[in-house]
Amino acid sequence: MRLHSVYKVPQGKLLKISVEYNKKNNVIKNIRITGDFFAYPEEAIEQMETKLRNTVLDEEQLLDKIRSIITEYHIQFIGVDAEGLTKGILMCKP
Amino acid sequence: MKEQWRLLQTGFDTAFSNMAIDRAILVANSIGNVPPTVRFYGWMPPAISLGYFQSVTEEIDIQACKKLGVDYVRRITGGGAVFHDKELTYSIIIPEAHPAMPKNILQSYGRICNALLQGLKQLGIHGTYAPINDILVDGKKISGNAQTRKANMVLQHGTILLDVDVDTMFSLLKVPNEKIKDKLIKDVKQRVTSIEHIAGKRIRFEEVAEALKTGFEEEFHVELVQGILTNEEKTLAAQFEKECFSTAQWNHRR
Repeated sequence: MRLHSVYKVPQGKLLKISVEYNKKNNVIKNIRITGDFFAYPEEAIEQMETKLRNTVLDEEQLLDKIRSIITEYHIQFIGVDAEGLTKGILMCKP
Repeated sequence: MKEQWRLLQTGFDTAFSNMAIDRAILVANSIGNVPPTVRFYGWMPPAISLGYFQSVTEEIDIQACKKLGVDYVRRITGGGAVFHDKELTYSIIIPEAHPAMPKNILQSYGRICNALLQGLKQLGIHGTYAPINDILVDGKKISGNAQTRKANMVLQHGTILLDVDVDTMFSLLKVPNEKIKDKLIKDVKQRVTSIEHIAGKRIRFEEVAEALKTGFEEEFHVELVQGILTNEEKTLAAQFEKECFSTAQWNHRR
């Protein structure tokens, strides 16, 4: 399944996320995180997208995974945060 | 004696060349071959620049762009899509370690936006910085800004609207829902302003550039000395334009 969400982060920017996932086990196959936010370094978003593959669409697991990627790649987000990303991704699920 | 930075006035150029020049200056400054630089420029033909993270197909009506002769380019900076038409664009390129640049990214947005505010003041326009990256006059947006940090450098570029054509802008940018398009256009018309609108008369590009030059000089206590792109920067810019900014691979990567 391929689904899409548009989520305005409170006091932040507009996130537009597409997720392709396995409907049987809710595991992410592919994800694209777009929007008018800022991230430093910018290229880390591609690493984030790759690393989020095979993660289950579950709030706790997503938040943990995103936080660990942020730490691993020293990503600084402005206009979005781990909670906002998690919410935007989960909103893709019907 | 005041520290001297370079001022570049590169005139009007294509979207691809404009973005390539900013990146070329960043590279040249990071190697230490040129001083901190403030650049003023415009866009010919008019163009849309997309934030690094934006999806081209989701943000832009490519057919409408082709019909109206409007180019589009992906920036190396995040942030939103901008229709560059009647405006002045600036960029500032400076080492992250320079004492004038706050280490904190949001603070450095504020510092650079202060230079713009000082510049606008020269024109009798009193604005405020609205974090993250906007400048407002009378509560309406007159300037949007975007910053990247790479190679231990800060590059921030942004626009000052001289005049604005919201209807054309919305024929080029996609809106989430066609049904609410009219309302959205009305909203944006109420949220966006321009120098011409505030001043009640047309102010020439050159005059705005002069005012902003003073703004940067006052905010950073430096002297901006008119310079030109070095041969190295021109070569780099030509390379970046050809290999990156004019390619579908870059512009359609998201």
